[in-house]
Amino acid sequence: MRESTIMFLHYVAAVLIMITGLIHLLANNDPVIGAAIKASPVLYLGNMAIFLAALLYHAFNGVRVILIEMVPDRCWTKWISWAILIVGIVTYAVGLQVLMVALGFA
Amino acid sequence: MASEEAKEYVLPPEVLEETVKASEELWKPVRKIKFRIYKYNPRKDYAPHWEEHELEVSRGMTVLDALLIIKGETDHSLGIRYSCRMGLCGSCAMMINGKQMLACQTRVLEAAGSGDVVELRPLDNFPVERDLAADFTSFFEKHRAVKPWIIRNDEVELNNPTGPYKQTVDEYARYYQFTDCIKCGACLSACPTAATDYEYLGPQALAQAYRYIVDTRDDGLDVRIPIVDTEHGCWRCHFAASCSDVCPRGVDPAQGIQLLKKLLIKRKFGLKPHKPAEALPAKVKAEKEG
Repeated sequence: MRESTIMFLHYVAAVLIMITGLIHLLANNDPVIGAAIKASPVLYLGNMAIFLAALLYHAFNGVRVILIEMVPDRCWTKWISWAILIVGIVTYAVGLQVLMVALGFA
Repeated sequence: MASEEAKEYVLPPEVLEETVKASEELWKPVRKIKFRIYKYNPRKDYAPHWEEHELEVSRGMTVLDALLIIKGETDHSLGIRYSCRMGLCGSCAMMINGKQMLACQTRVLEAAGSGDVVELRPLDNFPVERDLAADFTSFFEKHRAVKPWIIRNDEVELNNPTGPYKQTVDEYARYYQFTDCIKCGACLSACPTAATDYEYLGPQALAQAYRYIVDTRDDGLDVRIPIVDTEHGCWRCHFAASCSDVCPRGVDPAQGIQLLKKLLIKRKFGLKPHKPAEALPAKVKAEKEG
């Protein structure tokens, strides 16, 4: 994948964090809006799944960028990217499971 | 005719006298300044050290003038790089009191300010060649990597041009400022990313890539994208803008990099940066024949 695609997704993830994060905040802090949002638990779970995905992508890509700059060797660059991707997927899987348990889906 | 006109023009005596007086004033020693100079020959020395030289400086004296006096009178072994002495070649860029500057364009008193010490060391983020001269090998490799020349698809026209290419003022204005780059290395030296990421192409090379990509005469977008759109390409710029801050020519490489990023994103949605320029005479000829 080209670096521009990765970085474009990084910016898209930032926007998604803002939108889904706002929905999450409203759902847990405003009783009226919160009740409306949580009326459909599947949609709320979907929002949280997107929030978690965007958050992890943005955070882990940030870590990848820092590591690439600190260890600029091209061989290491490839390994860093793969390692971060695997750690990210595992973290997302664990996070999603926690979310599903917390929201009563499992 | 021209020589007659030249002969006729003589400075009025009072103006001449004033000019001579001002010049004398400019070059009259006014202050003693201590020069703290970095000395290191990687082939001989175990570690770098500092040497101090004291000099009577005048208002008009540049750092390069002072260095040449020091080299001529007190330290013949001093390694410096210079050429044009007028801020055009970019050879004499160095750290003057901690900031990237051209030695030939910086007056000693301006650098010293209210203090009496001027500290000189080679450019940061560059290996040392000797004393104040930095090794530019990697810098020029990065510059060459972005193919800083016009690339055309129509090879017949390129090799046998039928005339000048059409370009409007607006099209020229898009890349004009980047043509002012003198490759002094000040931008790369000031770049915080380049300080850790030695593979990073750097502000100079990336701004030059942008300069050629947006040139309507150029068709090399697809050739340059695999070079600039990499892990160590334009996306590693975090827009500290220190490159633009130190550029002695007033070029804004940070802006060039941001525009390059924008161009790459726009390309994702199928938007091309420009229409390729046409070779006018060939087109006119073809239209006439058609």
